[in-house]
Amino acid sequence: MSEATLKTKNGNGWQEKLINTLTQLINYILILIIALILGAVVMVLSGRDPISAYLALWEGAFGNPYRFLDTLDRSAIMILAGIAGSIAFRTNIINLGLEGQLYIGAFAAAWVGFTFTNLPSFVHIPLCLIAGILGGALWTLPVLYLKMRWKIPELVPTLMLNYIAIRLTDYLIAFPFRDPTAPMAGSPLIAPSARLPKLIQGSTINIGFIIAIVLIFVAYWFIFKTKVGYEMRMVGLNQEFAAASGLPVKRSIILAMTLSGAVIGLGGAIMITGFFGRFLGGFSSGYGWDGFMIAIIAQNHPFAVLPAAVFYGALANGALTMQSITGVPQAVVAMVKGSLVMFVTVKVFVENIRKGLKKWAM
Amino acid sequence: MGNVDLSSILTIALFASALRMATPIIFATMGGIFSSHTGIFNVGLEGFMLIGSFFAVYGSVQTGSPYGGLLFAIVACLIASLVFAFLHLELKANPIIVGLAMNIVAIGMTNYFLTALLDVYGVYKTDLIVGFSEVEIPLIHQIPILGELISGHFPLVYISFVSVYIVYLVLYKTPFGFHLRAVGEKIDAAESIGVNTKKMKYYGILVSGFLCAFGGTFLSLSYLTLFSEEMTAGRGWLALAAINFGRMRPVPSLMACLIFGFADALAVRLQQFGLPSQIVLMLPYLMTLIVLFISAVVAERRKKAKKNRNDEDLEIAATLPS
Repeated sequence: MSEATLKTKNGNGWQEKLINTLTQLINYILILIIALILGAVVMVLSGRDPISAYLALWEGAFGNPYRFLDTLDRSAIMILAGIAGSIAFRTNIINLGLEGQLYIGAFAAAWVGFTFTNLPSFVHIPLCLIAGILGGALWTLPVLYLKMRWKIPELVPTLMLNYIAIRLTDYLIAFPFRDPTAPMAGSPLIAPSARLPKLIQGSTINIGFIIAIVLIFVAYWFIFKTKVGYEMRMVGLNQEFAAASGLPVKRSIILAMTLSGAVIGLGGAIMITGFFGRFLGGFSSGYGWDGFMIAIIAQNHPFAVLPAAVFYGALANGALTMQSITGVPQAVVAMVKGSLVMFVTVKVFVENIRKGLKKWAM
Repeated sequence: MGNVDLSSILTIALFASALRMATPIIFATMGGIFSSHTGIFNVGLEGFMLIGSFFAVYGSVQTGSPYGGLLFAIVACLIASLVFAFLHLELKANPIIVGLAMNIVAIGMTNYFLTALLDVYGVYKTDLIVGFSEVEIPLIHQIPILGELISGHFPLVYISFVSVYIVYLVLYKTPFGFHLRAVGEKIDAAESIGVNTKKMKYYGILVSGFLCAFGGTFLSLSYLTLFSEEMTAGRGWLALAAINFGRMRPVPSLMACLIFGFADALAVRLQQFGLPSQIVLMLPYLMTLIVLFISAVVAERRKKAKKNRNDEDLEIAATLPS
């Protein structure tokens, strides 16, 4: 009998795979529909028309080639945030401090951008990006100290450092690095040599998007093809088991946290050098949180981060158009995003879809 | 700062305002303790409180009474916590992720309604919002220092302290509390003595939502009578730190809440002395890190002391003739 089971198992290998893929696909479509319906219900309750709102959202995100490019530009930071979240989650670290690491990385990049003015671009831009990476990575160190030395779970400390980072950068642009000519509280403009080159005139899309795409592949290679990445995944799956098998648990955790901060710090640097041109107070509309959500939706897989990030980029850009055309407040999008995440970890759907598919395939 | 002397900062008024600042954190902490004891670390406290703040203001305008506002907040928070409980307990979703997503949904929802229902961006402040008024405690308010410290607060301040005592009584002095704690500590044992563990978890989550409604209402209908975007400002997270500090016990957790309240009050006070607001507003969050740090250090010391004592016992035992 065991031989027979083995045979059918081998024989149905591709079928199993197909069912798994279909299950995931149907599950995502289902939860997307649920989230959109929830958004629609809220709109109806407050007397707005959800259909015209969603159409305007689509128009704003993909309505013409330039809008599509702007959406891709917005996706760059979402991709980096999603990868940053994924790296930490893979090692079972809940890095809720992405937002703070983003602010510190962005400020560090801006500082290099406006302090040095006599550098050629091919030196200045990499320096800014490195500053962003270092800023983001260093901002995780207090948490790591509390976690590694004193065994304090990272959940609350990472979050506290968000508030501290936002207030610290607010202070920096209010006093030591204040630019009175900035339209809102902000640092001086960065030197033109530090600006990321645009890809296409007429859109905000710049080299940052290419960097983000490259990083998807780098992250995939790192997580799945290197020894260090393997160790990190094993630590994430079962820390005790990894420790018992002699894997470097401490190193993996430290690496996961700092790399996570480094990647989102790079994202901050790209936002400043590619889009804003100076550090602006409160410039992030919650990209750190978007990164957290994207990582959850993508189940921490770098390749899956791409579609999730483009979707979130589309929501962000489309929401602005939706608000200006239909008057529906763009905050409704945050509800859709949040509900999506709430349902992603629901196990009941996946189980039932798989059961249904199997019955249908038999 | 040189010419500012310490006694002009550390006034009775400062300590009185520390009590006030601690109030919303106390409510969230007591709520969080309830769900923590059923084994659910509720990271959605922040979101529940924010929902409470919004609907308290909305309810106050609709009914013309702060108690009407409180009622609206309670209903809204119970619905939100029911959604949380349903997703986790019935649909088997991860409670940490649901809680975090809950916070995001709460921000989105309150901002959405702020614009869609009340037609403003950022802040809603009108004379239509009826807040609570301060209560003078008879006799005590005439006592010089004590009166200034504990009299003349908003009713919810007193209720928050009473809630600590009630939570303590319910958790430690009733069979219900015993069963509830058993669910978090030894779920198999709880099941074997016939406790409906799922029902207990529902209670845990719903009570945390219920108490967060009070915390949220305090924020928007007492000292300030307004609603502003994300006005909870991380207080739900401070509550989680307080629970961690007190190891889920109501009274020690209350201590942490008072420390956070003091840091909050101090931050406000120091601003009046011309320190940059951005820097002093970091204080409550820095204080949280410090409190977590101290509680970890103390825990380690205690562990070491215990180990030393055991070692000593062994040494003594070794010297004894067998």
